[in-house]
Amino acid sequence: MTDTVEVTLKVNGRTATRQVEPRLLLVDFLRHELGLKGAHVGCEQGVCGACTVLIDGRSARSCLHFAVAVQGTEIATVESLGSRDSLHPIQEAFHKAHGLQCGYCTPGFLATTVELLARNPDPDEAEIRRALTNNICRCTGYANIVKAVRAAAAAMRAMPDKAA
Amino acid sequence: MADRRHYIGQDVLRREDEYLLRGRGRFVDDLPTPTDTVHLGFVMSPYAHARVVSIDASRALAHGGVIAVYTGADIAKLVQPIVAEIEFPGYHRHGRDVIARDKVRFVGEHVAVVVAENAYAAQDGIELVDVEYEPLPVASDLETATQPGAPLVHDAIPNNLIFKGQLTTKDFAAGFARGEHVIRERFRSGRVAGVPMEPRGCLALPDHVGDSIVFYSSTQIPHLVRTALARCLDVAEPRIRVVAPEVGGGFGTKAQIYPEEFVVAALAFDLRRPVKWIQDRREELLTDIHARDHIYDVEISFDSQGIVQGLKLSLWTNAGAYSTLPFGCTLEATGGARMIVGPYRISNYAYETHAVATHTCPSGAYRGVAQPTCFMAIEGLMDRIGRKLGIDPAEIRLRNMVPTKDLPWVNVVGVRYDTGSFVESLERALTAIDYAGFRTRQPADRLVDGKYRGIGICSFTEVSGTGAPGWRARGLVRMPGFDSSIVKVEPTGKVTAYVSHANGGQGHLTTFAQVVADALGADLADVTIIEGDTGATPYGTNTFASRSAVTGGGALIRASTKVKEKMRRIAGHMLEAAPADIVIEGGRAFVVGVPQVGLDFAGIAETAYSMNNFGLPEGDGYGLEATDFYDPPLVTMANAVHIAQVAVDAEDGRVEIERYLVVHDCGRIINPMIVNGQIHGGTAQGIGEALMEEMVYDSEGQLQNATLLDYLLPTAEDVPNFEIDHLESPSIDAEGGFKGVGEGGVIGAVPAIVNAVADALAGLGININRKPLRPAFLSRLMREARASRPAA
Repeated sequence: MTDTVEVTLKVNGRTATRQVEPRLLLVDFLRHELGLKGAHVGCEQGVCGACTVLIDGRSARSCLHFAVAVQGTEIATVESLGSRDSLHPIQEAFHKAHGLQCGYCTPGFLATTVELLARNPDPDEAEIRRALTNNICRCTGYANIVKAVRAAAAAMRAMPDKAA
Repeated sequence: MADRRHYIGQDVLRREDEYLLRGRGRFVDDLPTPTDTVHLGFVMSPYAHARVVSIDASRALAHGGVIAVYTGADIAKLVQPIVAEIEFPGYHRHGRDVIARDKVRFVGEHVAVVVAENAYAAQDGIELVDVEYEPLPVASDLETATQPGAPLVHDAIPNNLIFKGQLTTKDFAAGFARGEHVIRERFRSGRVAGVPMEPRGCLALPDHVGDSIVFYSSTQIPHLVRTALARCLDVAEPRIRVVAPEVGGGFGTKAQIYPEEFVVAALAFDLRRPVKWIQDRREELLTDIHARDHIYDVEISFDSQGIVQGLKLSLWTNAGAYSTLPFGCTLEATGGARMIVGPYRISNYAYETHAVATHTCPSGAYRGVAQPTCFMAIEGLMDRIGRKLGIDPAEIRLRNMVPTKDLPWVNVVGVRYDTGSFVESLERALTAIDYAGFRTRQPADRLVDGKYRGIGICSFTEVSGTGAPGWRARGLVRMPGFDSSIVKVEPTGKVTAYVSHANGGQGHLTTFAQVVADALGADLADVTIIEGDTGATPYGTNTFASRSAVTGGGALIRASTKVKEKMRRIAGHMLEAAPADIVIEGGRAFVVGVPQVGLDFAGIAETAYSMNNFGLPEGDGYGLEATDFYDPPLVTMANAVHIAQVAVDAEDGRVEIERYLVVHDCGRIINPMIVNGQIHGGTAQGIGEALMEEMVYDSEGQLQNATLLDYLLPTAEDVPNFEIDHLESPSIDAEGGFKGVGEGGVIGAVPAIVNAVADALAGLGININRKPLRPAFLSRLMREARASRPAA
């Protein structure tokens, strides 16, 4: 068997240590070591964005990072959004605008949106579309995702203390 | 919900959303796996055509984590070859080993499967299987594969012509000759694929006895998968339960039964261990069905008023290396030939249609099947007639359409259009986009601010909800056509509805609940939909070809209606009224005119399940459930109009979509929000197909762009906002009045955009008769056009 290394990651505010192969991808660490199945694998090449998570607040392809290489960072996945009883305003906006169909790419879009709205709380449509090129959706044709991001931005501006 | 009696027609928000938004969807790769699960990796052929000389697995077997390697010969002992069940004059039946034995016929075809302790070790094992091939000559190109001397894909199929079909209407030649003008054109359509964001995968879990398996697969057709597994593995159906968990998009790509599904199931029985396989994107692009590699050679004759007098088609479709399950390779060939007449009164028609075997990935039923390409042809011809006669192309369409007053109408190939709004849809679309104003403003050279601006129309019919007669007409002798449901009012009065369909993002859990709530008179919140599980749901044809609303909706209405009748009898018995006088709505039953006195569903269920002393009405038994089946007519025909307004950059050839308008008529709408979502998504796929997507094979049969870096999908910056309007012409043939809506987006978008670009470049004298229309291609055409013309 391949040699293993000890990897400690801080994910969604909690620290986890596992003994894994050094070649283990971050997305596989999240999904199969930690059971956080929200980030999905769509292309293994960093193109589709289904595996997008936040590393230190920046959107990142979890299929392009080795788990061992992102030790010492703060990683946030879709599972960190919202609370047990309520959805995050971005999730809520995607629901109300019908911004998802099959839902496979959705966690990646949510991560991209969190990053966008943290940087720019009031993006116009062109800025939203530019940011969303980070991710591919094959179901929705993007129109309702754009609508959802606008609605989420408005909702979050209306309650600044609750922003992600 | 404001109105608790009528849910159909309302924008009910989706029940599927919350868990998906929280990242808790259970797609195949998200399912928990037992610790003793083995993982598969398939060894793919790097050659398009080769003899497999030898396979040496010793290096793989020596690698830690690799448990076993099975070759085609090993798997052949467990799985019978798969054969598409087509019976059609002109069709050559052929089998396929689920793992190739002697010969490979396309790049990516499997030659061995590695069984390993984990997915990484399986990948290692693939690299360590040494396969010796003897490369053979390749026929990868549709245009040359049928020529004499071309390498044969299957020795028993002469000229690689897997299928040839034809039709000539009575007195065709005389009718065709009545036209004063004839236009001939060749339309060429590039090969594309569905490319769902979730690649495929399977997980087979043996039970504790080792006798049965639960088989999870990312499929649109769990019931058909189970039947096929039972046949080819020679295992009784009760020993296989197929579950389609959350499915990350299908678009027809997953309405196929693939070799890996047989292998995963067979190895779970053979090894008596859980077996998992998750496809990667490269495998997905190389081996999941492709589509639309078509040539339409068309001739159309018409009079001086632009009225079509005759249409002649020779259609060539690239079938790839094998006929796939369950549709075989004739679907595109028969589809394009049968649907091309669309909303038009064309009664003189002759076609020859062909499916050609090549050393490329097998083709299959991608969203829209042949409709995006056959409408690219007929709608392109409508524009050409207009240009030739100096009559506006919209007017040409209106002159040739079947008017609403002539409906129901049976078209030239025998398909009945029961209701529709061809003329009204086009007129409404023309008004909404100010077509006349655009034409007035458009200069003869189309050049405004450095961009060529054009407008393109696609008026089309959309086949949906195909029933058994529709499949028989296309040679599919064993494709059922019906779907089914079981509707139960449970002892507490809550409603469970089991339907034979499977969800892949369409929102069934929401829309089917709307249908059941209305049909039963139940409160929507009390209705739960169960689907995608052969262990729970009754048999059916499943979810593809825009079937759900028609066949699932129809089956649910029928079963609900039976249950409602029984509830009326019980309520009448309990309220001492005639059943005919009982009204059931909003979750309550009462005597007509006396809504204040009544029973809720729980009260009726108490009697049905013998939990009180009322006893049942005479003639009724216990329980409160019904099963019913619904086989729709031949097909259920929806219609729509797409209009695209584009700007082609005069320098770099980039196409920008400036406005995009859809007027759609899918009969009675269950959930407008979801219907619009289907149109958005389909149209975006059509934009990709028209402007960027193409699977490119070289002469050696190598796919040149088997990554998402190279096979371009539309992003948020490539897709415009959509203006959508609806007309509702409820079907009079199909239960509930529903028509399908899943494919219209892609069907309309491809021709509308191609025609818009053609219109934009018409001033340069450029003839656009193919797609995709990539910037490099268009800028070359513009350069050549300018070079061949004297400067103004």
